[in-house]
Amino acid sequence: MTSEPGAAVALTFTEGWGRLVAGLIAWCGDWDLAEECAQEAFAAALVAWPRDGVPAAPLAWLTTVARNRARDRLRRRTTEGAKLALVGADQSDEVAPVADEDIPDERLRLIFTCCHPALPLPARTALTLRTLCGLTSAEIARAFLVTESTMDKRLVRARAKIKHAGIPYRVPPPELWHERVEGVLAVLYLMFNEGYAASSGESVLRVDVSAEAIRLTRSLSELLPGEPEVTALLALMLLTDARRPARVRGGRVVPLGEQDRSLWSADAIAEGAALLEGREPPWGPYAVQARIALCHDAAPTPADTDWATIGELYTLLPATPVTELNRAVAVSMTHGPAAALELVDALADELAGYYLHAATRADLQARLGRLDEAAASLALAIEQAPTGAERRLLRERLEGLGGP
Amino acid sequence: MKYLMLHSVDHGSSPEAEARATPEALDAWITEMTARGLLLDGSKLQPISDATTVRAPEGRTVVTDGPFAETKEQVAGYDVIDCPDLDSAVAVAAAHPTTHIGSIEVRAFAPGMPDPVVPAAPAPGKYRYLMLVCADLRRAMAAAAADPEGFAADRERETTAGAGVEETNDDVDVWIENAGSRRLYGWELEFPDRAVTVRRVDDRVVTTDGPFAETKEQIAGYDLLECDDLDDAIAIATSHPVAGGGVLELRPLRAS
Repeated sequence: MTSEPGAAVALTFTEGWGRLVAGLIAWCGDWDLAEECAQEAFAAALVAWPRDGVPAAPLAWLTTVARNRARDRLRRRTTEGAKLALVGADQSDEVAPVADEDIPDERLRLIFTCCHPALPLPARTALTLRTLCGLTSAEIARAFLVTESTMDKRLVRARAKIKHAGIPYRVPPPELWHERVEGVLAVLYLMFNEGYAASSGESVLRVDVSAEAIRLTRSLSELLPGEPEVTALLALMLLTDARRPARVRGGRVVPLGEQDRSLWSADAIAEGAALLEGREPPWGPYAVQARIALCHDAAPTPADTDWATIGELYTLLPATPVTELNRAVAVSMTHGPAAALELVDALADELAGYYLHAATRADLQARLGRLDEAAASLALAIEQAPTGAERRLLRERLEGLGGP
Repeated sequence: MKYLMLHSVDHGSSPEAEARATPEALDAWITEMTARGLLLDGSKLQPISDATTVRAPEGRTVVTDGPFAETKEQVAGYDVIDCPDLDSAVAVAAAHPTTHIGSIEVRAFAPGMPDPVVPAAPAPGKYRYLMLVCADLRRAMAAAAADPEGFAADRERETTAGAGVEETNDDVDVWIENAGSRRLYGWELEFPDRAVTVRRVDDRVVTTDGPFAETKEQIAGYDLLECDDLDDAIAIATSHPVAGGGVLELRPLRAS
């Protein structure tokens, strides 16, 4: 036995899990059954592929095995006789000679259903990771810093709601299209950010979840080639993720201006830049943010950053307190710290409690030579910072000021 | 007079109390009230984790998970009864097993409600939802309290109880026409300050004034919907005249 079939199973799992489950749900309408049988099919592959060789059409093989398992289970459930009829007459255990390409890709239906606005937001991300990426609830629980039983409950409730409340398993009709695509992108971006910058706790980088978000967005951009914001979100993720190798050093977050830019992934930057090329305005919010990320990524040194363009790009985003705060940073680079501090101070009420507001104020106050004020702002930011790594970075800055 | 019984289940009730609220006790109540010709419609609802709320401020649809108000007590089921007066309605509610494990809000429907005609089971592949029409009723209640006759006359004429909300019966008529066969029936309720809540304390029936939950937005009425799926129900809810200023809660019914 070689490790090749094992590797083939792992690869098929990464690439094919979502398609397999989506197809099974479309076929039997039962999420739990679809997942259980998909799992069993992969378990069967671990036994059969090393023995018989990797089949020519792995997905078709897995689909057939999973469907047979589903039929067995339904046969055993005497009360579900009606479903037996639905599951159809094909009772043979033979692997049908179908090519993988001939199995319809049902993942779009699945992702729109997982991201339905009637589901609680944390459940949408969890359900997407579970059903489309095949992450276990233990893995998702670890990524989101909740207990496994909490995550299990979240998933069970979400599936129950899909069933009880009649959340449709479909690609939304034209009148809902725009809003629902936006909803899916919001979930994917949230997932990416959860992975990129942990919202709480000690660990800063949760690579797996970010990688899954990128993978899903890539699939979505292939499934929806006509949606510029999908491609733009993929670009934004790639251009942000490109800096990942330089973002943490020795357990502390390294600010953008101090990162070792030679560690940035040139491939990811090139791919992200290519995705943005030739797209004319008007740009959606993800396209604008991707272009801002590209301005940073394209600068060989911090001093080369095109702050004027960044400042202009920020004005294209819907004016929220957080985008205003980011715009202020760009303004400080083009118009000086005093002008920026005015902008930042104006956001005090709206961003009270947000550590980056206090940290940005501290930075501007320090640049203006107002060190006592900067120290007080940093102390506040340390109090409000969500992760240990962020707090360490802020403490170092405070020490750098010569403060306590 | 027709009355709505809104059931609220308290999940912290004692095992002895819960032992009295058996499915058999419920069946007995249903059988008795149906035989007496008092019970017109009713169902258990799926838990609040299956609830969806819909608002449409400035015509923009906002769909969120969960009930319209985050309160400990939540609607777990409903019954429509026909009784000669409030005392007999309270007696019918007091006989219901829910009183062992929670409370029942008894609220009169606005006058003129026809008998609901509801097929026992939904059509194949369809889902039933209780759509609770909720709005901030405080201003309208104050106005009605200050001038009860004027309010009654106004209601006869044009305005409905969905107060604080620019809504007329004409808008509701358009909405009803638009909902078509997806709306089984629905009616407006009297204000919550006229509600009576029935519960048991030490196995004695206790009635108190007012609804079971004091929230900013209150249930002003409801419609029973039968739709293809949740998106279909959301579309109907969004087009309701109250969606602009109030909130609509969609609760899937639980199959009996």
